[in-house]
Amino acid sequence: MEAGEDVVLAVEALSKRYGSLVAVDGISFQVRRGETFGILGPNGAGKTTTLEMIEGLRTPDGGHITLLGLDAVRQRRSVQDRIGVQLQSQALWPELTVEETLKTFSALFRRRLSLEMMMERFSLVDKRRSLVRDLSGGQKQRLSVATALVNDPEVVFLDEPTTGLDPQARRSFWDLIHDMSGEGKTVIVTTHYMEEAEELCERVAIMDHGRIMAMDSPRELVRGLDFDNTVECTFAGSVERERLLALPAVHDVKKENGAHFLFTTDVSATLAGLMGLTDGNGERVQSLQVRTATLEDVFISLTGRRLRD
Amino acid sequence: MNVRSFVQLVVIQATILRRNTGFWVTSIMTAVLSMAVFGWLFNPDTQPFDLALVDEDHSQASRSLVEAFGGIDNVEVREGSRDGEMASLQDGELGAVVIVPEGFADDLGGGSATLPVFYDNSNPIRIGYVTTTVNAVVDSYNDEVVGQSSAVTVQQQAVSTQRVRFIDFLTPGMVGMTVMWVNLGVGFLLVTWREQGILRRLGVTPLRPGSLIASQAASFSIVSLMQVTVVLVMGHFVFDVDIHGSFLWLAVTVFLGVMAMLSVGYVVASLLKTVTSVNAVINLVAFPMMFLGRSYFPLEPPPALKPLIEAIPLTHLNDALREVVNRGGGLGDLWLSWTILAVWVVAGFGLSVRLFRWQ
Repeated sequence: MEAGEDVVLAVEALSKRYGSLVAVDGISFQVRRGETFGILGPNGAGKTTTLEMIEGLRTPDGGHITLLGLDAVRQRRSVQDRIGVQLQSQALWPELTVEETLKTFSALFRRRLSLEMMMERFSLVDKRRSLVRDLSGGQKQRLSVATALVNDPEVVFLDEPTTGLDPQARRSFWDLIHDMSGEGKTVIVTTHYMEEAEELCERVAIMDHGRIMAMDSPRELVRGLDFDNTVECTFAGSVERERLLALPAVHDVKKENGAHFLFTTDVSATLAGLMGLTDGNGERVQSLQVRTATLEDVFISLTGRRLRD
Repeated sequence: MNVRSFVQLVVIQATILRRNTGFWVTSIMTAVLSMAVFGWLFNPDTQPFDLALVDEDHSQASRSLVEAFGGIDNVEVREGSRDGEMASLQDGELGAVVIVPEGFADDLGGGSATLPVFYDNSNPIRIGYVTTTVNAVVDSYNDEVVGQSSAVTVQQQAVSTQRVRFIDFLTPGMVGMTVMWVNLGVGFLLVTWREQGILRRLGVTPLRPGSLIASQAASFSIVSLMQVTVVLVMGHFVFDVDIHGSFLWLAVTVFLGVMAMLSVGYVVASLLKTVTSVNAVINLVAFPMMFLGRSYFPLEPPPALKPLIEAIPLTHLNDALREVVNRGGGLGDLWLSWTILAVWVVAGFGLSVRLFRWQ
C-alpha cells in the first residue's frame, strides 16, 4: 500500500491467545477507505478472532488497532457507533417482527437510516409484520444484513457471510456486497471460499494458524506463483513424490487427501511426462484435472493444505 | 445510552416476554390455582375445632347464651370449669374458651355485658376462623335473643388480635412467588440470548452491559407489576382479601422484590453457560425458596434452617408483602425486609455487571 493513502483500518502486531493456543499471532495489515478486503483461510485460522478484536468483542493480548482514526480497544463504543457487523450466526430475536427488529437495532446508534428504505432495499416490506421465526433462510439473511447497515456504517464487517447458503443465494449476497462497495463503504469479509475472495476482494490476506501467509490482490497472488497451472491427479497405487517432481516443467508437488497437485510452468510437457510415467511402470492415473492457478493453489503452495476438506 | 434506545429496549423485551406465553402464564396460573384450591377446596380455615364454654353465672341468660353455641358446623362444643378448660387451651386441645362471668345476667339487664373469650394464639390460620365463628354466634344472640345489637360485647383475650384467614396469608405469598418465578427467569432469557448469539450481536453495537441490564430490569418490572395486579385483584374480588397498607409501600416492596430476584437470575446466568444448566439451577433455587420463604405455609423452621430462611430474599419479600397487605404496616415495620432485599439487589447487580459476558 502506498503511503498517504486514506487508511481506514490499521492493525499492528495484533495477537490473542486462549490458554496455550495462539489464535492470532502478531498480525499486521492495513485497509484503505472504500476497499473490499478479504481474509481467506481455513476454519480455525484465526479469522473470526481477528474480526472480533477489531469489532470490540474481544480484547487483544497484544498489538494495536486503529479504526476510523480511533483506538478500537479504548474507544470501542465510538468505533462501534460507526461500523456495521454481521456475525457468523444470524443473531435475531425469533419473537420479534422484521420491523421491530430493525427499529431496535436502529435505536442503538446515533446515525440512523430510514427503516422504510431499508425494508424496501432488502425486499422485506411484505414481511414487516412477520415474526423472525417464520421467515425463510434467505429472508433472515437479508434481515441480518439490514441490521448491520441501519446506522449507515463507514466500515462493514462480514464474518463468513455465505457459509451454508446455496449457490444462488450466495450469488445474490455477492451482489449486496458489490452494492455496499459501490456506495463507498469499506467492506472487510472473512471467507474460506476462494471463489468468493476472487470475486469480491480487491485485496486478500491469506491466513493460517494465526498468521498472515500472504497479502495482495487475488491476481497478484496468483501471478506471484512460480507456475501457471495445476495438474491435480490421483493414482491407483502409490507413486513416489520424487518421481513426480522429476517430471518436465514441474515446479513443486503437494499431496493432500490422496490427490497430488503438480504445479507446472508448462502443462503439455508435464502431461506428456505424466503419461509416460504411467505407461512405463504400470501405475494408472485414476483422475486428472488441469486448471489455471487460482487462490486455492496459492493457499496449497503456502501451506500444503487445501482451504476446506 | 439515550432515552430512545432505552425505551425501545424496554418495549421489545416486554414484547418478547409477552410473546413467550409460557414464561408468564405458568407462574400466574400457579398463583391463581393455589388461591382457588386453598381458598375454596381445601380451606384450612374451616377445619373443625373444639370450643369450651364456662358458665360461671348459672343464670337463665347465661344458659341461653351457652345454648346458642350449640349446633355450629365444624365446631365441637363442651362445658367445663375455668381452670380445667384454660389448661386444655394451654395444651392446644381447644380453639377457644368462652367464659360467661359471674354477674353476666345482671350486666345484661343493665344494658351491656362483656364476654371474655380466650383464643389459642399459636395457629394463625385457625384464629381467623375461630374469632369469626364466636363473633357470629354472639352477634346472632344479640339480635335474636336479646334484641339489641351491642348487648354482649366479645372481649378478645389473645395476644394476636388480627383476623388473618388462610387466604389472607396466602395471597401476598402468591404475589411473592409470582415475582420470584418471573424474575429469576431473566437468567434463562440471558443465557438463551447468549446461546443464540444475540448477546454477541448486541456486543458489537455501542450498547453497554449496564444499559442492557437496566432496560431488562425495567421491562421485567412492568411485567411483574401486571402479574401482581392480577393476583391482588383476584384476591380482592374473589376472596375479599383487603390491602390494608399503602399502595406506594406495596409498589416499593414489589419493585425491591423484582430487583432482588433479577439479581439472583443474573448471577446464575453469569456463572453458567447453557440453557439447560440455568434451567436446572433456577428450579433448584426456586422450589426450596418457595417453601422455605413461606409463600404457602407459615412454617416454624427447625433452628438449623433459621439462618438460611432469614437470608433468602423471598422470605423478606413475603414478610414485607404481608406486612403491607394484611397488617397495613408502615416504614417502621418494613425497613428491615427492605434493607435485606436492597442488600441482595446491590450485591447481585454489582456481581453481575462484573461477571457479564457478551459471549
